[in-house]
Amino acid sequence: MSFKEALESGKFVVTAEVGPPKGTDISEMLHHIELLKGKVEAINFTDNQSAVMRMNSLAGCAIAVEHGVEPILQMTCRDRNRIGLQSDLLGAYALGVKSVLCMTGDHVSAGDHKGAKPVYDVESVQLLRIVDSLNNGRDMAGNELKGGTDFFQGGVVTPEANPLEPQLIKFEKKIKAGARFFQTQAVYDIEKFREFMKYARNFPVKVLAGLVVLKSAGMANFLNNYVPGIKVPQELIAELKAAGKGKGLDKGIDICARHIRQIRDEGICDGVHIMAIGIEDKVPEIMERAGL
Amino acid sequence: MIISRKRDFQELLENIKNYKSFFLIGCSECASLCGTGSEKEVKELAETLKSEGKEVTGGIVAKTGCQVLGTKKELKAYKDEVNSAECLLVMSCGAGTQTAVELFEDKPVYATNDSLFLGNMTRFQVFDERCSMCGKCILDKTGGICPITTCPKGLLNGPCGGMKDGHCEVGPDIPCAWVRIYERMKKLDKLEELTGSVFDARDWSTGQSPRAFSAREKKGK
Ligand code: SF4
Ligand code: SF4
Repeated sequence: MSFKEALESGKFVVTAEVGPPKGTDISEMLHHIELLKGKVEAINFTDNQSAVMRMNSLAGCAIAVEHGVEPILQMTCRDRNRIGLQSDLLGAYALGVKSVLCMTGDHVSAGDHKGAKPVYDVESVQLLRIVDSLNNGRDMAGNELKGGTDFFQGGVVTPEANPLEPQLIKFEKKIKAGARFFQTQAVYDIEKFREFMKYARNFPVKVLAGLVVLKSAGMANFLNNYVPGIKVPQELIAELKAAGKGKGLDKGIDICARHIRQIRDEGICDGVHIMAIGIEDKVPEIMERAGL
Repeated sequence: MIISRKRDFQELLENIKNYKSFFLIGCSECASLCGTGSEKEVKELAETLKSEGKEVTGGIVAKTGCQVLGTKKELKAYKDEVNSAECLLVMSCGAGTQTAVELFEDKPVYATNDSLFLGNMTRFQVFDERCSMCGKCILDKTGGICPITTCPKGLLNGPCGGMKDGHCEVGPDIPCAWVRIYERMKKLDKLEELTGSVFDARDWSTGQSPRAFSAREKKGK
């Protein structure tokens, strides 16, 4: 069953995330692909995340396909204009990529090539439209393609954005532009997320809750202070603190597993997207503790 | 106005190290307001150059340095001073510098300023950028606030995931353009204009350099 079919069948879907290497040594990426194979429905391959130059997402996706794992191509608008984006999308489809996550992309000022010229010829909403037109056999300029695509395209939403309403306006625009699934920015307050889902359920889209494993109270505070759109509630920080020295990660995995169980058992949304930044090895354990 | 900033003097000295005599050209418009090309700065630079052992044959504050014909006329009166200088230093924006380049084919011309952007002066000699002259204004659709310029990503459909508590991911000092647009539209009771439709990909060819334009009415043949 493909990622799309799994979501459409109503199955509780789990996706994970892998960042391609900074360099050509793909051994670690392969290890993570093998580790997650058969456990998650699909793996997102990040696109020069945080504007740090790495191997491209497309290569990661192609390698995943080769190893029998379904990839989700993350595509940002920071590094390519509309010609580059469309051309990569056609290439991705030919290489067996079926799902795309359209994003704007972190600004170059966040990354390791700060003097780069940011592109943003189009942005996430428009990129969704582009995918939609490729799916209809035409490029965005209206030219007919010799063979179109049949992508399952999605976007990102930040349920904890402050202020929230501009973010929701954009969420609705993404749906208008053709988004069929969403993977959210990391959520920690499940009750607030439930509220968001009550709203999101008004639209014909599938939503996977983004989860980032907390490793310590310090990390939680860092996320709260510096990372946009993430709010770790004080109770969770207290829980991490109470776990004691050296036990933070174990507690963090517990919390993550607990959230997955709650989201699944209460049918809050359609699945989860585990962003295990740096601890991809722990994903099977998280899933096991969540009873998946 | 066009915002300009004095270049580092040592860098300028290095650029002009092979020349001994100079004629200085300031500009009474933007560069004067920016404090980079008024009478005062022209005099100051002349003094500084002299103290570095250079000769200054003369100087002028052009009325509008980017106006080629007008500047040409003004400079006529300075023919001798210009001729006796080995090199021209232009204290305006890059457009003014290139006026001099056009007028004096066989003289080296150097810019004393960096040209920064089209700016608004918010306090005396404090500037910020609100329009990047994209060639097809969309302010009427964005509550009068330009996302092409004031959002570092130039987004057209709302805030990105990097917005935090109303400020931009690029820096806490930059308010998120899309939160500003949202708030203004809300105040004006025009939110439905924002939510209504997806802003299509732009035709950026309107901003493609080099641009040229004539406001003259075309005369029939
Ligand atoms: S839309 Fe274009 S012309 Fe209008 S303010 Fe912005 S950059 Fe300037
Ligand atoms: S935070 Fe706002 S202003 Fe900054 S890049 Fe994102 S949308 Fe643009």
